[in-house]
Amino acid sequence: MATTLSEPEAPTVERVAPELQHEVEQFLYYEAEVLDERRFDEWLELLADDLHYWMPTRRNRARKDMAREFAGAREAAFFDEDKDSMVRRVRRIDSGMAWAEDPPSRTRHMVSNVRVLPTEIPEEFEVRCAYLLYRSRLERDVEIFVGARRDLLRRVDDGVGWQIARRTIILDQATLLAKNLSVFF
Amino acid sequence: MAVDVRPLVDMEQGILSPRVYCDEDIFQLELERLFGRCWLFLAHDTMIPKAGDYMTTYMGEDPVIIARQRDGSVAAFLNQCRHRGMRLCRVDGGNNKVFSCTYHGWGYDLAGNLINVPHEEQFPDMDRSEWGAIKVPRLENYHGFIFGSWDPTIPSFTDYLGDMAWYMDVFVNRFDGGLEAIGGVHKWVIDCNWKFAAEQFTSDMSHAEVSHGSAFIACMPDDYDAARGTMPEYGVQFSSEAGHGCGFFLEGPVLEFTPGVRIADYWERETLEEARRRLGDARAEGFRAAHFNVFPTFSFLPGIQTTRVWHPRGPNQIEVWAWVMVPKNAPDEVKEAWRIGTMRTFSPAGHFEQDDGENWVEIQKTLRGSMARRTKLNVQMGMGGERLDADGFPGKTNICYAEMAARGFYQRWSDVLSMESWAEIDAARARRGDAVMRRLVAVNGRNGQAGR
Repeated sequence: MATTLSEPEAPTVERVAPELQHEVEQFLYYEAEVLDERRFDEWLELLADDLHYWMPTRRNRARKDMAREFAGAREAAFFDEDKDSMVRRVRRIDSGMAWAEDPPSRTRHMVSNVRVLPTEIPEEFEVRCAYLLYRSRLERDVEIFVGARRDLLRRVDDGVGWQIARRTIILDQATLLAKNLSVFF
Repeated sequence: MAVDVRPLVDMEQGILSPRVYCDEDIFQLELERLFGRCWLFLAHDTMIPKAGDYMTTYMGEDPVIIARQRDGSVAAFLNQCRHRGMRLCRVDGGNNKVFSCTYHGWGYDLAGNLINVPHEEQFPDMDRSEWGAIKVPRLENYHGFIFGSWDPTIPSFTDYLGDMAWYMDVFVNRFDGGLEAIGGVHKWVIDCNWKFAAEQFTSDMSHAEVSHGSAFIACMPDDYDAARGTMPEYGVQFSSEAGHGCGFFLEGPVLEFTPGVRIADYWERETLEEARRRLGDARAEGFRAAHFNVFPTFSFLPGIQTTRVWHPRGPNQIEVWAWVMVPKNAPDEVKEAWRIGTMRTFSPAGHFEQDDGENWVEIQKTLRGSMARRTKLNVQMGMGGERLDADGFPGKTNICYAEMAARGFYQRWSDVLSMESWAEIDAARARRGDAVMRRLVAVNGRNGQAGR
């Protein structure tokens, strides 16, 4: 089921146990490190089989039209992925012919403003954060992507104990100021 | 004339100076003579369906507003207030009755007519009818695609297309009910000259096997026999004396790779009879992995359905605006398969698109060098392989692995930049067409075999 950004929701500053907050943050930092060290096969293991990974396009609209700011579930997105399509994206990078990532990007994923919200399912938490993704390529190309993420994290028994079941990525740009999106958020 | 571009473009010999890609004076001439005169894509009917719907776009670097009028017609005008030159509308689109300037409040209606001036009594003899926004004087709707030109003397859009119309109809006229735009648009910047992108969609099938090797691997179905994974050989390229071009394969599986097997079923089987009825067998069945560009900057890929404009931003940058056009009558699940399949291949994060940007940017960086700018480039692929009206394909064709259409593109570019009027430009086009016909009939005969 596609995620929309316009779902109404009650404001909440719910308190979760400090141990849980700590555990979730450690997972996010671990994931960032895996991506920045280009361990993409390990990263795929962090993605649940029912993954939905979505980055909608964003419009430059008047304040009265803010309901139309983000593209809807059946409109233009930069990413609208499932597990299989993410496996294919990694396969592309590993092909030896993915020129946009060969030589590879030097990335640094930074996450902050982490909020952990319980859901109706005890093992699943909505985790919101702000991200800054720095990318340097070739001799001197630099791009900086900034925005927010809404993840659905699921506690699992194997691996590192958590998987990403849903990731909605908000990019704080209307016109993408980059020649491509060959990196993962 | 500020710059004479003709010595930079020798398409008889297939030799090009890279100065065409990086010279600021040439770019200013392009804004005035090319983007200021040619037919440019503005919008599709389904992007602004209702009265008052509008979107903002660009003609070259000039911002324009295109709006649906109350009577269902469309008007377009410069997005600039006549008072101090302020941008009238600062958003992508919406629905409006009046465009009210946020500087001093001059108001314009949906057609750009000036209808409100605060403190109007303080302007002596103000005649509002003389101070409307500058209108795009020529607009034409071709199967739902709206094109505009700043030049009142430009030939009709179908004359401008010439033989290209027969080819373009594969895209715009294949389906009963026409096409519609999926909501939303991919907009992104690439630090390269606009002609790299436009030329590639005009003329370049041969880059795919090198540039996009990784994309074929990513898109390959899991049970696919990789031994079959070579590029098809048999295909046709078309070049128009008006600078347009396209190329396509006449064999091989293509759509099952991208956008995917659901679209391959829909295109090659479920709607084949419909397409045959509308276009005839040749155009319904061929045209696999087709690339198209309508001169100068309107590109599309039939079957994959990405549809884009390369807006120039100085000589060294473009802004790409890309939509996905789907058959209006297609089932929702087919439209969704197209939205997803095209996004994963031809959008900023797409398997194919990512590597195009990489190539074009690195060419542009190289052209900072003095020697690099003086180096002559080779555009000779397929010279001597031209055919005329061969195998039922109208106009000048070649095998799909040629640069004939690139030569046509740069020749037209040179003509448009160096000639004063459309009469002169079209006389040159006719002269070249006649010369080609005489030469080809002499060498190859008429109605030879295309694509081999």
